[in-house]
Amino acid sequence: MRHFKPAHLIGMYPLGMMCLFFLGPLAFMIVVSFYERDPLGFYNVAFVWDNYAKFFSSFYYTISMRSIWSSALGAVLVVLLAFPAMFIITDMVRRWQLFWIILLLSLMCLSEVILGFAWLILLSESSGIPKFLGWVGLWDDPRSLSPSFAAMLIGFITLGFSLVALMFYPQMAQRDRSIEEAARTLGTSPARVFIKVVLPNYRTAIIGAVVTMFVYFLGVFVMPTMLGRPQDWNMTVIITDKAVGDANMPLGAALSVIMLLFTLVIIGALMFGTRKERQS
Amino acid sequence: MNTVLKRGFIWLIAAGLILPFLIVAGVSINANSNISFPPTELSLRWYTILFTESDWLIPIRNSLMIAVVAAFLSVSIALAANYVLWRLKSGFGKFVFALGIGPFMLPPIIIAMGASVFWAEIGMYGRVEATIISHGVFFVTLPLVIISRGFAALSDDVVEASRTMGATPWQTFKKVIFPLVLPYAITGYALVAIISVNEYLISYMVSGFAVETLPIRIFNNVRYGYTPVVASAAMAFALFTIGVLLVLSMITDLLKLLGGSRD
Repeated sequence: MRHFKPAHLIGMYPLGMMCLFFLGPLAFMIVVSFYERDPLGFYNVAFVWDNYAKFFSSFYYTISMRSIWSSALGAVLVVLLAFPAMFIITDMVRRWQLFWIILLLSLMCLSEVILGFAWLILLSESSGIPKFLGWVGLWDDPRSLSPSFAAMLIGFITLGFSLVALMFYPQMAQRDRSIEEAARTLGTSPARVFIKVVLPNYRTAIIGAVVTMFVYFLGVFVMPTMLGRPQDWNMTVIITDKAVGDANMPLGAALSVIMLLFTLVIIGALMFGTRKERQS
Repeated sequence: MNTVLKRGFIWLIAAGLILPFLIVAGVSINANSNISFPPTELSLRWYTILFTESDWLIPIRNSLMIAVVAAFLSVSIALAANYVLWRLKSGFGKFVFALGIGPFMLPPIIIAMGASVFWAEIGMYGRVEATIISHGVFFVTLPLVIISRGFAALSDDVVEASRTMGATPWQTFKKVIFPLVLPYAITGYALVAIISVNEYLISYMVSGFAVETLPIRIFNNVRYGYTPVVASAAMAFALFTIGVLLVLSMITDLLKLLGGSRD
């Protein structure tokens, strides 16, 4: 107790809150994942592996692969769009930068439900892009573009774009522009400067953004249900369906634990890779 | 990049981000009962229904109440964690800070599922307090990161001067540290509040239909046959979000707070 300071006491508040209401629920989830489903209630206390065994059935395996594929594709696309966009935005005058930051923050804060709903209308036959294309004569027989895999991906991109852009913002806004200017003065084309000078500097940030988005998209619920077809639904939709729809909490918990382990492995690999890169 | 290409690209992105709102805005002021765009006849009838019928007023009230309290909880945790990290600069402070980053690293469904089981287990499933605490704890990452910028900008000289003049640690915090980190705390508060207002999955998994928030109401409406009131609700909350951010940009240096310039 010799080194105990008042700051330690203050630290007990965030520590207690996070342990109780963040780690606590995760621990409960792990415990419940071994329980038995009670058809008349939520669950019975037990210790069974059945819930985990179900994961290895072809149904859950297919959905897992599908979730990984759609999340990975969404993550790569969103970073491919957000990175150059933010590079251009950070070179704008302060007034325009503020406009973009407010736009991005608004999007980041807006509900997935509202964004999904907006795209639902935009892709619908009666009000959006199909109607417009029909009106200008580019589409003879306009039909609704959602639900579809592409519509779901558009939803993912709208959802993640602001987050990725704001993640890049501090590093890009404060970057040392003299290196780019020097390369340009020496006659290098802007495209070449971007590829050879800018991109390598952001390697770690880009990988970090792709992984963050991948993990985030794995856990998204509204976009797949609103914009995707049932065959596009990811593991999150199935977990919610099992836990709330079928009141099978133990199975929902077991599937979440598997997703948690998968996420931890990815984060661990990212941290290991970043550390190795820093050391070399 | 070529200037024309750059402009074209950025305009395309802006269109993709703004267009959905324009369409929803158009639908929300269309007098027609079917959801369609462009509007044939203008009317504010859907907004009137939104702000007068209890079907919509109760979810709005629930969402706002949860957001106000959850954001306060979140900022208090973030402030304490940052203070400890700044004061101790030790493993303990780093551990508390890392715990606060945790929720942001996990897919939202894991957080929602854990919360659902937890609140069911302690008998508080479906209670508004459960949603408030869950939002307050799970959105802590945002104010944590933003307030850490405020602490990073604190000059040791100012604190040292306050101490030399005989101020107690509490007085130093109240008179020196807190006023300097306040703009960061306000930004963190506003962001958590608007994210909480708009959050769906955790609210749904923690309270089901017992505490209906606006996103839950909108989602159910969209899923099970919808009216243009949904568009007016979406628009009202989009405007609320943008309004709060505009006010924030007027009273604080938003670009600096988000790390756009060196402190």
